[in-house]
Amino acid sequence: MQLDFSKKQLTIKLVYYGAALSGKTTNLQSLHEAASGDSKGRLMTLDTKDDRTLFFDLLPLTFNDKSGLAVRVKVFTVPGQVIHTSTRRLVVQGADGVAFIADSRLSETDNNTESFLDLQRNLQGQGIELEKMPLVIQFNKRDLPNIRSQAEIAEMAKMGREPVYLAIATKGVGVVPCFVGLLYRTWEQLEATHGLSEKFGFDGPEFVADVAAKLGDPRPLRDILADSVGGGVHGR
Amino acid sequence: MGDSRMKTLEELTMLEQFSLEDLLDRRALPEMLSSFQELTGVPARIYSLNSGLLAGPKSAPPLDALLEGFPDGRRRLRDTIHEVLSVGVTVDDPAWVECAFGAGYLVSQLDHDGRALGRIVLGPVRMKEATQGFSGQVIRLPEDKSLELSLEEVPEKTLPECKDLLRFFQRTLDVLAYSGFKAHLASSMHLATVRENFRELTDKNTKLQSAYDRLRELDRLKSNFLATVSHELRTPLTSIIGYSEMLLEGISGELNEEQREFLGTIHQKGEQLLELIKSLLDLSKLESGTMSLRKGNVDCGALARDVATTLAPTARKKNVSLAASVNGELPLYNGDAERLRQILLNLTENAIKFTPADGSVEIEVRLVEQDVRPGTISSGAVLGSPKRRVIEIRVADSGIGIPEDQRERVFDAFYQVDNSATREVGGSGLGLSIVKRLVDAHDGQVYIESNEPRGTVFVVSLPCK
Ligand SMILES: Nc1nc2c(ncn2[C@@H]2O[C@H](COP(=O)(O)OP(=O)(O)O)[C@@H](O)[C@H]2O)c(=O)[nH]1
Ligand SMILES: [Mg+2]
Repeated sequence: MQLDFSKKQLTIKLVYYGAALSGKTTNLQSLHEAASGDSKGRLMTLDTKDDRTLFFDLLPLTFNDKSGLAVRVKVFTVPGQVIHTSTRRLVVQGADGVAFIADSRLSETDNNTESFLDLQRNLQGQGIELEKMPLVIQFNKRDLPNIRSQAEIAEMAKMGREPVYLAIATKGVGVVPCFVGLLYRTWEQLEATHGLSEKFGFDGPEFVADVAAKLGDPRPLRDILADSVGGGVHGR
Repeated sequence: MGDSRMKTLEELTMLEQFSLEDLLDRRALPEMLSSFQELTGVPARIYSLNSGLLAGPKSAPPLDALLEGFPDGRRRLRDTIHEVLSVGVTVDDPAWVECAFGAGYLVSQLDHDGRALGRIVLGPVRMKEATQGFSGQVIRLPEDKSLELSLEEVPEKTLPECKDLLRFFQRTLDVLAYSGFKAHLASSMHLATVRENFRELTDKNTKLQSAYDRLRELDRLKSNFLATVSHELRTPLTSIIGYSEMLLEGISGELNEEQREFLGTIHQKGEQLLELIKSLLDLSKLESGTMSLRKGNVDCGALARDVATTLAPTARKKNVSLAASVNGELPLYNGDAERLRQILLNLTENAIKFTPADGSVEIEVRLVEQDVRPGTISSGAVLGSPKRRVIEIRVADSGIGIPEDQRERVFDAFYQVDNSATREVGGSGLGLSIVKRLVDAHDGQVYIESNEPRGTVFVVSLPCK
């Protein structure tokens, strides 16, 4: 996070993590499409010819809050391939929140786990406990056959502290609620550590709801957050 | 791109403390400006917020040249430039700054990701519609200047045309800045990744080195331990053997048949144990590097025959034939006679042990001119002579043989190819590792070849200096 008092600018870094081909870039593309004119920046992809992310994708979004605070959100993806571990470490440095994108297919279970452990290691390497990091998990590719059942995911989600979202990133389904959930969690953490509301008269829930509306989801925040299974975001 | 220092990823993506010259390729700009001017007739300038003019027309437009020609005009030009740089503009709201004679400049802002980085200035152009903002200040032209000529060269545009041009120009620059940013980001990322990989490797190397050091230390401790323990074991054992020997000799009275047999067993096992302990002691001495060679001239042929004689009874007992032969002339070898003898004894004893009845063991000694085998000599081998002379001692048996994949490992301490065989024939399994270390100490090599159709050949090759 970067806070520029003189310009009343807050810059937040969110990272989309996950195994190769789980749909991180697709999530960003979908968010980019959902964003409206003045808030969306150019989606930047540092990729190779074969379309696999080499370094990262970066989607800059800017939201102006009523309080006069300009919130700049930088959404990153990491390259999922195993060999890019040092790049992942660099990208995840200084993250304020992480969305873990899992491929729902049963065949991908091991890859998901491996990548999650990799995330944990890379955070630990920077002295950050995964438990302290604002985190949401997305089960993507719900449109494919041979996927983990929703009932099973819901059951497992109850055991974790993080909200879990179901998505079809290619169709834009579930992408915005997942992002909004992550933004909300991240705000909670920043509020706790930096007291944004006191310093800037910044109303987090209102801001997040406003962002959701700008991303095309006009529902009340409570309803959007309720899209998740498990985790403790609801009703606060 | 301007700044020679690579910005960190954090600076690039989170702080964005970069300037227009970071993003745009300064050398490509004049080309872009001149092709824009060719296409539209309108000169263009790009200003950076930090450092003024980044690029402009190759030569001064005729109107500027005209104004430069007299004091009033010069003053007017300076004022215009000042106004162009200070007038309030945004990306979507350009400003018109009139200069003189109905000609002026269109000014707009250059943004990157919502931050102002510089200005675009198009002109001079003549606006077709009458403009309101003109200050009306009249410049008197000196007699000798011809206004018409200069004004003819100033392109004339309508306001919408001007705005279109501006928008086009802005977008082009935007795309250029975006590509520049991307290239900048990619190269920073590349550099950062290389650094990170390097850091990681260095880290791992350090860890490996300390693990290796620890292992070596452990190895040393183990050798010390072995030396101490074998020494401590030997002392009481000497008593056991000595006293059982005395008893056997009847020093303390006659023994009956049974007592004699029991004592014989005690004595024999004691001797066996002593042999084992001696080997252990040898090995630990060799490992700890405290062994020193007493070098002298050695006749390897004589040595081989001597060993064959010494072990003849053992071979005969097993009904194995044992012979030693020397092939051709041998030079004297500079080495430790006692140690070489030990090598040969161990190998030959071993060969007899693993050869079944009616088999044969042959020791052959010969001088060979060896090609330098790849990998057997450290780097720089190419500088030396391609041939070297070695004395080869070959101990061939017709025993059970050693599979190819185990031939390196038999020289490890306590390793035995087939434990059942060892149990049958006895032995500590230390003999070969002792041989290996003794040969190493002579800068020689020991390796195993197959003995067709059956059995094994242990080859010791000792380089002649
Ligand atoms: N069927 C299906 N395919 C998806 C979905 N999300 C992503 N994909 C596909 O999965 C592949 C990898 O996606 P991508 O976003 O590049 O993965 P990344 O490596 O995590 O960035 C692409 O072919 C996407 O079209 C989804 O929800 N359903
Ligand atoms: Mg990708």
